[in-house]
Amino acid sequence: MSANRWFATGNYFTTYREEQRIFSTHLDRLVFCLFLTAFFVWPFFIDLSTKYMLVLDNILIAVIAVYGLNLVLGFGGLISVGHAAFVGVGAYTVASLAGVIGEQHMLITHGWPLMIIGAGLMGAIFGLIVGLPALRLRHLYLLMATLSFQMIFEWTIGFLNFFNQGQFIYVGRVHWLTGEVGRNEHYLFWYYVLLVTVVICGFGVRNLLRTRYGRSLVAVRDNDRAADAMGMHPGLAKVFAFGLAGFFAGIAGAMQAYLDRGAGFETFTLHESIQYLAMTIVGGMGQLTGCFFGPAAIEILDLQMEHLAEWAGHILPSALDLATGLRPLSFGLVIVLFLMFEPRGIANWWRILRTYLKLWPFRY
Amino acid sequence: MPNLKVSDVTLTFGGLHALSGVNMDVKAGLITSIIGPNGAGKTSLLNCISGFYHPTSGEIHYNGQRLTKSSPHQVSKIGIARAFQNLELFRGLSVLDNLMLARHQNLSYGLLHALAFFGKASRVEAENREHVEKIIDFMELEAYRKQTVGNLSYGVQKSVEVARALTLAPQMILLDEPMAGMNIEEKEDMVRFIFDIKNEWEITVILVEHDLGVVMDISDQIYVLDFGEVIGSGDAEQVASNPKVIEAYIGEE
Ligand SMILES: Nc1ncnc2c1ncn2[C@@H]1O[C@H](COP(=O)(O)OP(=O)(O)OP(=O)(O)O)[C@@H](O)[C@H]1O
Ligand SMILES: [Mg+2]
Repeated sequence: MSANRWFATGNYFTTYREEQRIFSTHLDRLVFCLFLTAFFVWPFFIDLSTKYMLVLDNILIAVIAVYGLNLVLGFGGLISVGHAAFVGVGAYTVASLAGVIGEQHMLITHGWPLMIIGAGLMGAIFGLIVGLPALRLRHLYLLMATLSFQMIFEWTIGFLNFFNQGQFIYVGRVHWLTGEVGRNEHYLFWYYVLLVTVVICGFGVRNLLRTRYGRSLVAVRDNDRAADAMGMHPGLAKVFAFGLAGFFAGIAGAMQAYLDRGAGFETFTLHESIQYLAMTIVGGMGQLTGCFFGPAAIEILDLQMEHLAEWAGHILPSALDLATGLRPLSFGLVIVLFLMFEPRGIANWWRILRTYLKLWPFRY
Repeated sequence: MPNLKVSDVTLTFGGLHALSGVNMDVKAGLITSIIGPNGAGKTSLLNCISGFYHPTSGEIHYNGQRLTKSSPHQVSKIGIARAFQNLELFRGLSVLDNLMLARHQNLSYGLLHALAFFGKASRVEAENREHVEKIIDFMELEAYRKQTVGNLSYGVQKSVEVARALTLAPQMILLDEPMAGMNIEEKEDMVRFIFDIKNEWEITVILVEHDLGVVMDISDQIYVLDFGEVIGSGDAEQVASNPKVIEAYIGEE
């Protein structure tokens, strides 16, 4: 081990345990901690409007959902166009229970951490079931299977009275140590809950990727014949990936339901599924950092498109329809552009930047 | 006596007999070679043993256990590892990661341990890394440890292929033309490795190889295939003096 764990430009490990560290230098860890602290303390200094606070919360929810999609798509190499439906499963786990036992029931308002975990498990179960075809099918067929799930989900929510036929089902305000979380603190409260969840899940995913579970995903993606010869069951690894994706989606969905104070079917349509795909691809498939960049980039893009649509609507009222079509179009466009020109996504820019900074100014 | 027994295995693709009535007895602790002209069915035989193909008829047993209908991951768990003729590496990953992947079946820790990377998972992974490093050392791959496999020369990739099979910690290893496409020096190294795999690691070796000089040198037992049939077997001398074998090889040239 080099004496200097602050500015190491290469690696100087002497034991394999040292190499396991997530942060190879103290500097890396310090920067990460500062970064994280900044995320926790900025609300004490800056007063963000509700609108942007909501955008921020939505980005964090998307990050959790994209953890799941990236595991399937990026690391597992399996296409899923029904991710929003899995998020919906999580949301409706909370919402439909609230519909049954009452939105002010203790379980909903006080037991929300339990509800969120429960929704994650529910998502995982649905993920495993929908992933079952992956035992045998590939590519196009898997695309059809996940698309069917999306359709069946939308149909079920839209037609069954149990789900209020897709109309909004309310979920009560949650309680915290200080009592009910009121209207004014709502978004800030969920910002913190989401932030903590993002960090915990992030470490979970990071750890998973450096163990046999994560490696088997990558193996199956790269060469499933060889993976088979290495003692992995390729089919099970794929189903497992879908289960994991469902878990993260379920958690994201439950939090979405709490944040929106309920669930309605239009939050979990095919359009949202495509949006998650765009986030994963733009962020960087198979890159953990991509899970942060993607949602941020796409939500910001979405916001800009909304402004653009408004502006176009002012100038040319007749172009309003055209402007609303701009949003799905913009997702499609960025997906194609990134796949063509930067298939490794924004995460790759980050990697290049980091390598540059690490060697700067030639620390030897 | 632990061994592999191939009894009367036939494999057909449509009308084509890739293997017909093949019998083979592989004794533990020895190097058994399979030779034969191109298209003789050598790879097909290995594919049947390792579970990628299932024989149309006939049986395969390993230590009394039936392998005939097993899938590759089951065969691999029983302790039979395979290095492929046409490289089947994880091309986008480093040499190290390729080998780490091969440790899959030897690692045991639960999902929750893995998520927290705490306790057992972390300890097992460190031991795991140590084991992999031993193989890298043995196969003299230190210089390529962190390089992406797809960028390495063909000969080195072949070595990685063998190293990866070895990482599975098998009792028996199937090597499909491990020296094809290697230069003389790499070839000599590989012969040395195969010897050590047998003698030091005490792993039973099944070797498919075209280089007859090498085969005659290192094999304890040789099977000769031609058009899917075993036309001769025995030690080097017996095979070299077998008229059918001579005919097959002269007929080829
Ligand atoms: N999946 C398959 N489908 C159809 N035919 C196959 C298949 N696999 C092998 N064969 C045929 O079986 C025969 C034996 O092939 P095999 O690959 O086992 O030969 P080999 O002895 O390994 O040859 P080589 O020395 O060229 O590697 C060949 O005629 C080949 O075309
Ligand atoms: Mg062959």
